[in-house]
Amino acid sequence: MKDFRIVKNKNNSFNLIGKIKVKVVLAIAILVISLFFTQLVFANGLSTGGLRLAEIEDDIKKLEAENRILKNQIANESSLATLSAEAGDLGFKNYLQATTP
Amino acid sequence: MARIKILQIIIFCAFLIIILRLAYWQFFSSFKKENESILRESEIPASRGQIHAADGFPLAANEEAFLLYGKPHEINKSSQEIAKELAPLLISEKYATLSAQISEDLIKQKDEAIKNEEEELLNKLNNKNLYWVQLARKVPSQVKGKIQELAIAGLGFERDEKRFYPEASMAAQLLGFMGFDKFGRDVGYNGIEGYWDSHLRGKNGRLGQEQDPFGLPILVGKYKPIPPKQGDSLYLSIDRTVQFIAEDKLKKAVEKYGAKDGTVIVAEPATGHILAMATYPNFNPALRSEFEEKLYRNPAVSDTFEPGSIFKLITMSAALDLSQVEPNTRCPCTGPVTIDGYEISTWNKKYHPNSTMTEIIQNSDNVGMTYVAEKLGVDKFYDYIAKFGFGKLTGIDLQSEAGGNIRAKQEWRNIDLATASFGQGIAVTPIQMVQSVSAIANGGKLVPMRLVVEIGEDEHKERVKSQGSKQVISAKTASRITEMMVNAVRKGEARFFAPKGYRIAGKTGTAQIPVAGHYDPNKTIASFIGFAPADDPKFVMMVRFSQPSSSPFGSETAAPTFFEIAKELFNYYSILSSE
Repeated sequence: MKDFRIVKNKNNSFNLIGKIKVKVVLAIAILVISLFFTQLVFANGLSTGGLRLAEIEDDIKKLEAENRILKNQIANESSLATLSAEAGDLGFKNYLQATTP
Repeated sequence: MARIKILQIIIFCAFLIIILRLAYWQFFSSFKKENESILRESEIPASRGQIHAADGFPLAANEEAFLLYGKPHEINKSSQEIAKELAPLLISEKYATLSAQISEDLIKQKDEAIKNEEEELLNKLNNKNLYWVQLARKVPSQVKGKIQELAIAGLGFERDEKRFYPEASMAAQLLGFMGFDKFGRDVGYNGIEGYWDSHLRGKNGRLGQEQDPFGLPILVGKYKPIPPKQGDSLYLSIDRTVQFIAEDKLKKAVEKYGAKDGTVIVAEPATGHILAMATYPNFNPALRSEFEEKLYRNPAVSDTFEPGSIFKLITMSAALDLSQVEPNTRCPCTGPVTIDGYEISTWNKKYHPNSTMTEIIQNSDNVGMTYVAEKLGVDKFYDYIAKFGFGKLTGIDLQSEAGGNIRAKQEWRNIDLATASFGQGIAVTPIQMVQSVSAIANGGKLVPMRLVVEIGEDEHKERVKSQGSKQVISAKTASRITEMMVNAVRKGEARFFAPKGYRIAGKTGTAQIPVAGHYDPNKTIASFIGFAPADDPKFVMMVRFSQPSSSPFGSETAAPTFFEIAKELFNYYSILSSE
């Protein structure tokens, strides 16, 4: 009787430990799998991010270049050399050359 | 059981395929491109700082340009064919801007330039030992577009920048220009570009970026970019309108008077700020190589010359300050005087006995100045020359400034004292003259001349600290010499050109040019220096012509130009005439 109880207890504790192990292994497995998929999702996002970043950088460069071209064009058109030549073409004269009636 | 096994095998195979594919991407595909490292280390060039006028308008900006390179072993066309196609696109931009009707000479020049460019390109492209060869630098975007249209394999571009000058040749000598150092890097030479090069150039950045086999950045990789630090922009005291007026009038005057060259400096006496610094002939810095090298120099700060009669102001200031003479002190001045065997006479051989000091300045009397110099003596005169800043650099923020030439005091003989009193036998620079007369205009206080007022960008601009000013003559002396200068303008040789209703203080100068130990009888340097309005000077200005051919005298060349510019400035600054 005593021996049977001992055996039974041993069987019970074995089952208990086994159950815990299975649960832990299962939880870890789920965690690892979920982390793995999370990483996949992020890696997937990042893999296309490189392309997107390159595109954005290209866009920035293009816009900066356009901006600079426009700034230079404005400076060129508003330079005193250009304005003076255009004023001359339109018939404007220096105030010292003006005659008043 | 068998189905589970099959599933396991399928999963295993799927993983194996993924691993093999990853291995292929990670290793094998990148090995194909032997020379393309996964980690790309490249330099990010820093933009050069811009140079602005006082109103913020850019005098020197930047525009996109490219470096054109070739990889001879990748080129699939014959070198001759490529050179023929590229050469007309890579010759000087001068030919691109020419109108359709160009002279035969220019057509010949253009053909010659194309031929030379072709030869140069051929030499570079035929060297098949080279993996990479630079074909051209600073190629403009439009030219890049045309080259790309030719679709030649083995040619490529690297982004670069070059200077853009919205006002073309305005203030060219003052700005300086861009060239390359021995490593092929951009470097500024002369003027502002040279003096402020370390501030303007900025600091290149570095891009250490991991890339996938397609050249795209790997975001989870090591990504350590060091951003470039853009060069500091400079804000000058140059007033674009004043500069434009000065250049326009100077160009017309040099042509009218047949001068070899001309210089105009306009400055604000109270601050020492240069408002305009014009030189003619000048050059277009964008097409610098098309002009003679001697034009790159800025005579306003680099040229030393014997100032002639404009230096009488310094001699008289010293004598008045030391109370050696008073404005009404009279000089016998009956005729030429002989010193150490040399005869000193007046410029027109006319003599004015019993002239006052005011009249000596009015008549620009050399004999009278000799009388003043004798009263001063070498020691005192020399001290004042040094006090006014002659014989040393003014410290203006421009590269290639000359210090002039004043002999050591011990070497001065009586004749040196006499000739120096009317500005012969000593060498000064135009900027030194302007600085010293600016001190007279400024109540005797000498304020060092400078150009850069602020450094930096937008909200981060910093004001450049000015060097300390010093009192070189008393306010009373300054006021007295000013009255003498006003009198010289009203009653002197140039009185007919002076605008009516303004109190202008000024002095003409006609200096002979020393050539091989003697003075050339036919060549002069004609000048006029002064300030206005005399009671509250808004500007001090100097006009100088080298070897004018229509008349050798400053009163007939430099003085009329001074007054022409002054009239425009009175209008610009809304200074009303009293008449």
